[in-house]
Amino acid sequence: MNDQVPALELTGIDMHYGYVRALDKIDFHIMNGEIVALLGDNGAGKSSLLKVISGAHRPTAGTIKVHGRDVEFHSPTDSTHAGIQMVYQDLALVDAQDIATNLTIGREILRKPPLGWLGFVDKKAQRKRSQAELDRLGVRTAAMTRPVEMLSGGQRQVVALARSATRVSGERNGVLLLDEPTAALGYEQTKQVEALIGRIASQGIACVLVTHNLGLAMEVATRIVVLNRGRKYADILAAKTDNDQLVGWITGARPSMFAAA
Amino acid sequence: MTVPAQPQGAVASSADEATAGAAPGEHTKDSLAIRGLIFARDRGLFVLFILLVIAFSLWADPYFAQWSNAVLIANAAALTAVFAAGVAVGVMAGAIDISIPGTAALAGVICGKLVSGNNPVWLAIAVALVVGVIVGVANGLITLRGFNPFIVTIATLSVTSGLAEVVAGGYTIPGLTPLTFMGTRKYAGIPAPVWIVIVLFIVLTVFLTQTRDGIRFMAVGGNGEAVRRSGIHSGRYRVMGFVISGFCAALGGLISTAVTTEASPVADPGIIFTALTAVALAGVALTGGRGSLPRVLVGALILATISNALTIKGIQPYWGTVVTGLLLMVSLGVEKAVAASVERRLVTAAQASVHSGKR
Repeated sequence: MNDQVPALELTGIDMHYGYVRALDKIDFHIMNGEIVALLGDNGAGKSSLLKVISGAHRPTAGTIKVHGRDVEFHSPTDSTHAGIQMVYQDLALVDAQDIATNLTIGREILRKPPLGWLGFVDKKAQRKRSQAELDRLGVRTAAMTRPVEMLSGGQRQVVALARSATRVSGERNGVLLLDEPTAALGYEQTKQVEALIGRIASQGIACVLVTHNLGLAMEVATRIVVLNRGRKYADILAAKTDNDQLVGWITGARPSMFAAA
Repeated sequence: MTVPAQPQGAVASSADEATAGAAPGEHTKDSLAIRGLIFARDRGLFVLFILLVIAFSLWADPYFAQWSNAVLIANAAALTAVFAAGVAVGVMAGAIDISIPGTAALAGVICGKLVSGNNPVWLAIAVALVVGVIVGVANGLITLRGFNPFIVTIATLSVTSGLAEVVAGGYTIPGLTPLTFMGTRKYAGIPAPVWIVIVLFIVLTVFLTQTRDGIRFMAVGGNGEAVRRSGIHSGRYRVMGFVISGFCAALGGLISTAVTTEASPVADPGIIFTALTAVALAGVALTGGRGSLPRVLVGALILATISNALTIKGIQPYWGTVVTGLLLMVSLGVEKAVAASVERRLVTAAQASVHSGKR
């Protein structure tokens, strides 16, 4: 967190769909360990910006830097390799498989040769590593052998978050993109997920939080960015703003912080 | 559910416990009720099978509970089990492979043609199995282009059963006695088809549950999108499902050819439905991604056991199909009850407070 190079930096991002300007010269950056909430009404450009960051769409203009290095994303795989992980609203968990399998798929631990050559996985080691990863995040869900379909909504969200978090915390901390992480959750579960996001960030992972939920943004984010019809209207520390201001920016009733510039 | 992060030392020590094979920390254990539900879901069919065997042993007393009768049942279940394995693997990947009867007929006829042409038996068997694999690859690759697997396999059913007739010239190929070693011959008192089924199910079960490719295969069937987002190409696993079911179909075709010592070019679509009954009894969800092959084997055994017991008691075998249908509906009911119970428990779990430390 002491290094001054942003984990992710977007400069002058334009995104046109035909004649529609979804994003208009957006500048955006996030430091390691920071939680930035991305607010905006429907059609404000939140999803477009998220798609640009996750590599699903290529911007019409603008540059993307990860840890100060210029990158170009041709596909979601590219952004994943650069250390950016997206947690989707639909969670994308394999319901019939247990927690350990969901956490380890794509990076399985194989048994020692002879059996390893045949592709046999070391389930005990996988469970151990999954448990250790969840412990490090301070998460308790259920036994590692519990199928995901037998988890509550909050527990599933926690597993999905933890899976993405473990994938970006390599030798260099990455960026986690969260799309409405608490949309389907009740009060208690929302609190748990908020706490988890805080812990993930405290490990040095940069968290971009896309949400409609002002309360969530004020609760967990350190900084808040408001988009309005494809433009950045506000970029302000959460401590220096309040609900009224934010609503003003979101609806457009309040002039953009950057209108003069 | 959440607790403050433990100090690193505590994490390491609980991890060491897991290595030692001891219970790895209290928080990794599920409550008795949850484990009971998981047991009912995963092992309920085994319990049902044991109950059936006990009931039939009492009902059809001296004749049912005998080793020779057990062998008879196993032998009767063998062919269904092989086809059921093919159907089950297809369903786990998310598609019912309708082409299985055609592939079976084609494989049987090609093997028969080669054997009656005095080619080596091993070559005939190998070619037949390769044909099954090729049909599977074709099914898989065509499906990957975005066509509905159901329709694609109906098309290949038509193609393969037509080809079978072409190869055989429309007639059954008789006198294939060199194949009896995998048909009616017994080894250690157990018929060859039963041995084949044992090996097939062990290999497939170990593959699906213990290897990286098998686990990914199941995951792709369950949620292909989730696996794709983990950076895994899901296409090859979809093809793999059709390849395995094509292989099983060819193997089934070979066994039925070997048992009757003649290769019939007529594809019998009925074997799909018998196999599907066993698969459904085993609780393999048609939506894909779940199910276990040992349960499919038990499903096939249950079908054979019911018709065997009814035959012993001199009841018309037609009643066997009636009973099977009813049993299938009962098993659906049990599955639903378990699912509902799980849901209820989840609701209570969701209401448990964070602060009380309950899950």
